[in-house]
Order: sequence, then structure tokens, then C-alpha cells
Amino acid sequence: MLSAVLRRLALSLVTLLMLATYVFVATEILPGDALDVSLSADELSMMPPARLAQMKRELGLDRPAPERFLAFLGGVTQLDFGRTLISKTPVIDIVAFPLRNSLILGGAVLVAAIPLALFVGIVSAYWFRRATDTIISSAAIIGYSVPEFVIGTVLVILFAVAWPLFPATITANTKDPALALLAASPLPVATILIGSIAYLGRVLRVGMVEALATDFVERLRLTGVPEWRIVFLHALPAAVIPSLTAMALYAAALVSGIVVVELVFSYPGLGQELLRAVTRREVHVIQAFALLSAGLVVLFNLLADLAILALDARTRQS
Amino acid sequence: MNSRSRRGFARLGLGGAAALTADLANAQTAAPKRGGTLVHAQLSANRRAADASNAKHPYFIVDANTRLQWNCLTWVNEKLEWEYELATKLEPTDDKMNVWDVTIREGVMFHNGREMTAADVASSFAYHRLNAPFARQIIKIEALSKYVARFTLDGGNSEFAFILAEYNSVIMPAGDLKTIGFDGIGTGPFRIVSTDPNRSLIMERFEGYWRKGFPYLDRVECHNREGQQEAALNGLRAGQFDAVLSIDPRAVQQFQSDTAYDIETAKGGYHFVVQLPKHPGSPFLDKRIRQAFAYAIDREAIVRIAYSGKYGWVGNDSHLVITDPNFVPRPGGRDVAKAKKLLADAGYPNGITLSPLYFSPPLPEVPRYFQVLQQSVKEAGFNMPIEERPNDGYIQFRQGENDVALGKYHKFAMTAVGSRNPGISLYRMRYEYVESGHWSGPEHDQYIKLYNEAMITRDAGKRKSVYAQMQAILHEEVPVVLPAGGDTFLIKRKNIRNMPFHPQIWSIRLDETWKA
Repeated sequence: MLSAVLRRLALSLVTLLMLATYVFVATEILPGDALDVSLSADELSMMPPARLAQMKRELGLDRPAPERFLAFLGGVTQLDFGRTLISKTPVIDIVAFPLRNSLILGGAVLVAAIPLALFVGIVSAYWFRRATDTIISSAAIIGYSVPEFVIGTVLVILFAVAWPLFPATITANTKDPALALLAASPLPVATILIGSIAYLGRVLRVGMVEALATDFVERLRLTGVPEWRIVFLHALPAAVIPSLTAMALYAAALVSGIVVVELVFSYPGLGQELLRAVTRREVHVIQAFALLSAGLVVLFNLLADLAILALDARTRQS
Repeated sequence: MNSRSRRGFARLGLGGAAALTADLANAQTAAPKRGGTLVHAQLSANRRAADASNAKHPYFIVDANTRLQWNCLTWVNEKLEWEYELATKLEPTDDKMNVWDVTIREGVMFHNGREMTAADVASSFAYHRLNAPFARQIIKIEALSKYVARFTLDGGNSEFAFILAEYNSVIMPAGDLKTIGFDGIGTGPFRIVSTDPNRSLIMERFEGYWRKGFPYLDRVECHNREGQQEAALNGLRAGQFDAVLSIDPRAVQQFQSDTAYDIETAKGGYHFVVQLPKHPGSPFLDKRIRQAFAYAIDREAIVRIAYSGKYGWVGNDSHLVITDPNFVPRPGGRDVAKAKKLLADAGYPNGITLSPLYFSPPLPEVPRYFQVLQQSVKEAGFNMPIEERPNDGYIQFRQGENDVALGKYHKFAMTAVGSRNPGISLYRMRYEYVESGHWSGPEHDQYIKLYNEAMITRDAGKRKSVYAQMQAILHEEVPVVLPAGGDTFLIKRKNIRNMPFHPQIWSIRLDETWKA
């Protein structure tokens, strides 16, 4: 068990290193460099070489790429992503609270989505190919297919404008406590929740259908084991284990994928800052976002692997 | 435009406060109610980037908040006439009008409980003259006594009172040049409670405000929703916001028939300079290309499409707005054939490809504006890519590497222009200022000569004829183009009273705004 855990931890570290390399190289090979933030093409073409060299020196662009990569890597290990090009603010100061806020929003969605998705998946699988399953599956396909900005807008029209129960736009501040943010965010949570339940419910339904159709379950039924025990104590664990990786990937994608919803509701999360960074061409901020998002995927994958190791004896033995 | 004789200045000195009060109180006569919080969203942006270290400084906030936390020595009202604000008297010491003495109001308190004195005025302008383009003409500022300060300018300025009303002319508690203004302390009706850079500013009533009995509101919350008009309007519809400032003219049409809201209009509003670079190698060094560009633009189409027709106006390639009585329309309309001929004469019979025109969207309708501009000049042979840049940091971006050694380089870029008096507006076309595209030559020299003449002419009628000559030079020379402009709007709920909009967004006052 310990060696398996250590092996996965080592694999995660290697993946993170590869990701950091990829992010650095990707931003290196893009046309132009950080100077393009403030200079246009004809400005560059007519600038005296000495002045250009001075500006490159100020931005650290005069150093060879490997040297800059090592400095970048060293910074990343200490969560130092450098400073913004325009205002010279430490990138971590810009990213930290929006990341926390996106995690709060994503976390709230997951906390609500997992039990609801379990319920939906179990009900749908138990009454497989019956009316209940058809209704739930159809609703899930619609919920998963409709873009989140459409769902968000409809929810705003219904529950903020026509029937003013919840805020239409988030006026809470970036550094407000988590509870204050959540209290202001029922509609963003609901918007993401609809798609999340639809997706996770579908994933679990497939696992449950397979589990309920196994010979093992058939034998349990023949021996008179109550249905609730079969579903919750035997079929559900068997269905959840293969779904864990998919759920982990979904959880990671959730945090980086709620950008649009954050913009619809003016939620002070990564979405707002990412948009600002892209439009301002703040390369270091974009690097930080890319790395943190990728890091979350690795982290959630690792957690899923560890959970599978803990739950599944066959995986441990292999 | 405003014409103030020396006697007139003195007379206004006596009645300035009364005039300010009367102007502010004229909109609603119902008994105002005290208390309450005004929550508004702000869609326009004309500022440098704010961050945690400078979000309280007057140079980094959104303009609509200027008169909430701070005051200036003078204020420009909705008719673009100046009035006294923290000053009670302002007059030149002689006919050259380059030395001005200002007497400030006694007993005005800062939010930190200290009384404002002439030393604070001197210290504030020591900062402004180094950092604000309009204040650079001030070469010396000194406190003559506790309540009298003296400004020495680099030349006469008959419209100096307007300089003192600018958003970068607020009075701050005296401090050194590195720290002044960063505490957010002013003399305004509200003081800052908290800031969330680029997101919100929360203010509460300042009990020691110099206008006794004001403001009526207890609290003001400003939420920045640049580029997020739908979120802001949803907030208004849902009752979260009491008002939304600087909405798109198309949204005005949507809400006009809705009885739940009032729309306040600021005539004149904003327009946009397209800076034509004249550094070595730039095609715009050739006057014929500049003229061709001016003839190629379909200004009526911009008004029609960007401003829904009735909310826009055709510009005259000067910084003056159409509501200014000194405004002289540009002779002749769009002429594509003439534009093509001028281009051919300049050596481009098959058209010309320009470098990208950069713009930022300080108002929601701006992207439409520049799309129409791009398409209309194409018909005359101008192949002009356009590129949108964010408002945050745009000022630094568009100015570029403005190095004299490079021939005063700047970008081919747009910048927003607010409504102002002719003295300020027309002075923006001087060689030194980036907005003129660093225009030079004998016509420029003649233009500046006329400007200097106007600045020592007390009589507004005579100044008007000088301003007309200056505009005629611009129509012929086309140092830059200012194709069109539009009115600006705020939308508010019916229970918000006395909240007029202002063509200068930094001159909005909420002193007498109240919530029914």
C-alpha cells in the first residue's frame, strides 16, 4: 500500500514538473514576448536597439531561456510567479483570493452535487429503462447540453428579476469571508449544479446499471438479501470505484471551468482575473492560472487514485 | 462659453457658494429624506489600473467617485459653467492672467478632522503639476496666508478656473510627493470605508462636510461593472442596484418605456480622438493622407449605428463637443471620391494599409463605433486593422515609448475625451501633447499663437471668433480626427431623487441625492 502511494506521489510530481515545463515553453514559443504588452509592432521596429536591450534587461528577457526556466521553476516551488508587467504587483497577490473564491464556489457545488448525483444515478439505474429512468436521463441530457451561461441567465430572469429571491449579480468583495460569498451566490451555485448533477448522475448511472446486472447481485437477490442492502452496500461501492477518476477530473475541471458562470454573475473568482490577465497580456498571471489549474487536475487525480487504493483491494494488490 | 471679467470673478466670489447650492437643488422640490444607501454600478472607465496599494488614491478610482470623496477649488456644472467649490474667490493679479490668487473657504475639514488650509492647496498642486497634464502649466504654487494661495502659470489663461475643477485637481491633505493622496482622505461628502480594487468602493457620510446639512445619504456603494452591462442591468432589475451609470444608448431605448426607471441624460458626453502619429516614417506625416482619412470616415453612420441616431453627434476634428457654443461644424461631409484622389496624389492609388488602430472601450458602445469607422474608411482605400485593448492600463499603453529621440513616437490609437471648456479642449492640440499626434509646422504655430491670444482675452465673444479661426486650421490640417460623439446616460430607480447625470463624469455630485 505504502509503495503504491509513494509511486503515485512521485508520478504526480513528475507530471507537475512536465506541466511547468509545458507552460513555460508554451508561453515562450508564442509570437513576441512580454515587451508586446506595452509596445506595438511599429514601435518595436523603430526603437533604437540600445533602448530595446535596456527594456529586455529590465524584464529579464535578456537571459537565456534555460536560465529563465530554472528561475521560473524555483519561483513556482515557492508559489512565486513573478510580478505583473504593468503594475508590478506580485502575481500571487492577484491570484490568491480569486483562486480561493473559485474553490469555494466549486467546493459548494461539489458538496451539493455528489449526493444529488448519487441519488439521481441510483434511482435512474434501479428503474433502468423504465419511465423514471427515461425522464431522469432526458433531463440529464438537457441539463448537461445547455450552456451554463444560458442556464444562468434563465435563473436570473426567474429568481432575481421576475421573482426577486436571490441576487442577480454578486456585490460581495474579493476578500469577503467564505460564508458571505456563498450567501450571495445561490444562483451561480445552482447554475453549475444543474450541469454537474446531470454529468455525475450519468456517470454513476452507468456504473450502477453495470453493477446491478452482475451475477454477484443476482446471487444476492436469490439468497434473499434485502434490496436496499444490495443497492447501497454492494452495488454502489462497486459502481463508485470506477467513477472516482471521472469525478475527480470533473471536480478539477469545475474550478477552472466556471469562468463563464463567474462572468455572468460578476463573481470575484478566477474568471474575472483570467479575463483581465488575457486582455492585458499579463503573461506571468496567465502562467500562474495555467499551472494552478493543471495542478488541481493532478491533485484531484492523485486523491482519486488514493481513494481507489483505499477502497479497492484488487488495485492495491496489482 | 463662460466669460468672466475680473469684476465678474469677484462677484462670483461673493455668491459662489449660493450659486452652487442653488444649482444643485433645482431638480426636485419635494422634501428630501435623510438616510439610506445608494448602490450603483458603473460601466465607464477612465482611469489607470487600481490595485491594493493605490485604490484609495484619486488618480486610480473611477471618475464618477471624484466628487464623493474629494472637492476641487472650483466645480463645473452640467451646463459646463464653472462655480466655486472650495474656493470663495479666484482672480488674476493683472491683465496677463498668468498669476492667480485664490481664497479658500474657511472651516473646511478633511475626513481626518484637520482644517484645510492654503498649505494643503499648495501641496496638492505640487503633486498635480507633476502628474496631471492639465496642471503642467502651473510653474509655481505658494501659500500666501492660511486661506490664500497663489498660482503662477507659464502663460496667461483666461479660463484657469476650469483647470482647477479637473478630476486631477482635487485637494488632499498636505504630504510629500511620494505619499500624498494614498490615504483617500479628502473634503468630500463621503469618506472611504473600504475598497476592492477594480471591483467596488464603499463610502459613508462624512459628518464634518463643509456644506452643512448635506449629504442626505448615509452610504454610497459603487460597483465597477466595466464591460458587464447585462450583469449591471440585471442587478438593477433585481433591485440590487439603485442606478447604473453610463449605459449604452441601445439600453436607453429598451428602458425608455419602462415606468419603473428614470433615465438621466448628459448632453455632449464623450467623444473620441483618433491620434494620427507623425513620427518619422508614419504615413500621417503627409497632410493629404490625413485629409483623405477625414473625408473617408462615415460619421453619420457612426452616429446611426453606435448611438442609435438621436443620441450621437458628428464631431468636427477638434476636442470641442457639439453642445459648446464655440463649436464650428466641419465644412463638407463625407467624400469618398475626394479621399481616393488625395490618397492617389499622396502616392497610394491602390489604397494604403495602416498599422493597427488600438482602442479601449470606456463606454459600452465603443466597439461598435470603431467597427463602423474601420468599415467606412475601407471604402476609400484605407485597410486598417483595429485591436481592442483593456481599459486597465490603456493610458500607459497608448502613449507608448514617447521618446523625443524617436520623433515623439506614439501609437495609432484612440482616446476618450470628455466635455470641457474651449481653453482646455483646444489646447490639447499642442505639439507637446500626445493627443495632437505631436502635430507641428507653421499652421501649428499659427494655431498656438491664436490660442495664446485667446488666453489673454477676457471677452468671451472675442475669444469665440479666435476659437473659430483655430478650428478652421484644424479642419484644413487634420492633425487628428474626432469623428463623432454621443450623449451619456444613467438609469435609476424612481425612488432615487436629485441624481442628475453630468457630461463630465468626474463632476457628478451626490450631495443632494436622496432616496424616497
